[in-house]
Amino acid sequence: MQLKKVNISTLLLALTMAVMLTLAPGTASADNKPEKVTVIYGGSSWLGHYPAWVGMEKGLFKKHGLGVLFQNFYASSGRMGSLIAGDLDVASTGSISAIALMAVGNKSFFAFGTQDSYATVEGIIARDGINSLKDLKGKKLAAPFASSAHVLVLDLLQQAGLDPEKDLTLLNLKVNEMPAAMSSGEIDACAAWTPHFNKLLNMKGNHLLANDTEFSLYKKYKLGPGPDLLVVRKDFAQKYPNTCNAFVKGYFEAIDMLINKPEECAQVLVKLTNLNMEDQMTVLKDIEWIPGSKQKALMSDPGDFVKGMQKLGDFLTRHGQIDQSPMVKDWVTTDMLP
Amino acid sequence: MDKENHSSKPIIISIISLTLFLGIWELVCRGGLIDPVFMPAPSKIFARAVKLIGNGELMAHTLASTRRVMVGFMISSMVAIPFGIFLGSSRLFMAICDPFISLLRPLPSMSWIPLSLLWLGITETQKYSIVFMGSFAPSLLYIIEATKSIDPLLIRAARNLGASKLDVMREVILPGALPQIISGLKVMLGIAWTCIISAELVAAREGLGFMIMNGKEYFQTDTVMLGMVMISITVMVIDVVFKKFERRLLPWTR
Repeated sequence: MQLKKVNISTLLLALTMAVMLTLAPGTASADNKPEKVTVIYGGSSWLGHYPAWVGMEKGLFKKHGLGVLFQNFYASSGRMGSLIAGDLDVASTGSISAIALMAVGNKSFFAFGTQDSYATVEGIIARDGINSLKDLKGKKLAAPFASSAHVLVLDLLQQAGLDPEKDLTLLNLKVNEMPAAMSSGEIDACAAWTPHFNKLLNMKGNHLLANDTEFSLYKKYKLGPGPDLLVVRKDFAQKYPNTCNAFVKGYFEAIDMLINKPEECAQVLVKLTNLNMEDQMTVLKDIEWIPGSKQKALMSDPGDFVKGMQKLGDFLTRHGQIDQSPMVKDWVTTDMLP
Repeated sequence: MDKENHSSKPIIISIISLTLFLGIWELVCRGGLIDPVFMPAPSKIFARAVKLIGNGELMAHTLASTRRVMVGFMISSMVAIPFGIFLGSSRLFMAICDPFISLLRPLPSMSWIPLSLLWLGITETQKYSIVFMGSFAPSLLYIIEATKSIDPLLIRAARNLGASKLDVMREVILPGALPQIISGLKVMLGIAWTCIISAELVAAREGLGFMIMNGKEYFQTDTVMLGMVMISITVMVIDVVFKKFERRLLPWTR
């Protein structure tokens, strides 16, 4: 009988605790506390992921009650694939991957911001003797296919009146394989982004032929060939709005820090990029960070960024890279922005 | 008549099972049970095939990959057949080479990419070399085993009858081992095709491996699956050709 009493009181205690635990997220929600305290972020050592890294290292997410788990991916396509598979919550991606996913009709993510502009750290580097885009005729030009550098090449060749199928040999090469290919003379020019872009430029006999500022959409919308885009899994955003808000706050505080205290940020970024302080500072100087206060104007329809992204979708369709241009604004949300 | 019915039955069953499988797959996709990014409907893959056949891309990709696989595989076979027969008939040389073969055998074709790039650059030869390295060690082992499988009694009998080493090779070992070598090469040709993704991972702008990887970058899963189907179909066609060649080369095995 005594045993039974103990069991009942234990059961009651357990039930009370279970009810309290169940209600706890609701209470937290009412207080704008994150419903989920860990966000899984998809990144890499690319500059577009600096704010997330700085936010983690400087405790800016923690300040908002959030822990961020940084998962590394080599390419944006892998990151986007993991996001829609439910393995990531938030990510920054090259917009070409995001547009490609929109083009196949996948609606399981939102684009909610764009954090940077980096028109001078990506471009075409050529061997001495090639002084203009027209000089590329009959030469071997390398670019990693399905990337911003590839889009840049297609656009610049079109501007120069060159057909990539007939007038030159366009090779598909990863950026990290380009320095060796350039030094061995197997290619005459290549399109790359930082940090390999800087390495290639520093190699003897190489020079810059054109960078993102020559891209047709940059001239009109200040949009590079593959601008960075912040994306969130749709069901995550709907289920955990406070968590998303906390992430966005921490994230844009990190951007403010990158703008105001670049040296302090560089000290933590070298752990991500393996660059020395001097090179890290050089890369940081080439980036224009877009603060939280400017996001809504860019991301709202018909903001310049959304318009530019639409044009980029049309461009990819014209060049046969995707089947149809998606209506980009259908994937954009400003609800999470400050 | 009865015999004809008997032989056509398995084909009919295969056609029914394939049709059923494709039908269920199509229904599941059309019913929205699977996101097309993860698994496109067969009709989508077919539509992609029609489009790529129309603009000539599919044929160009298939021919480029077939050329790479065949060149890599032929070179691999041309080296592996004499070398394998030699090692299979000599215990001493087998003992010398065995550790190296054991080291080479487990290496996946992809592991040769960095070295092949350094040695051969971003050329077509680099792509052939990936197929070569992926199929050489397994082919060699098959040929060694085929050579070893010859009954030693036959070799001894030939020797006792006054046959020279060359005669033994020509009259006993080669005819005895050839059927097994040819069967092994058929399997190896399939393995050579598995190297095509690795071979076309670097500096390729055409080929089924390139088509699959590029389709993946743009989330065009129908293109990815079409590339996979094309590899299977190409291997099946080559297999049929190989069988005809086998019958002509080895009439005594019919």
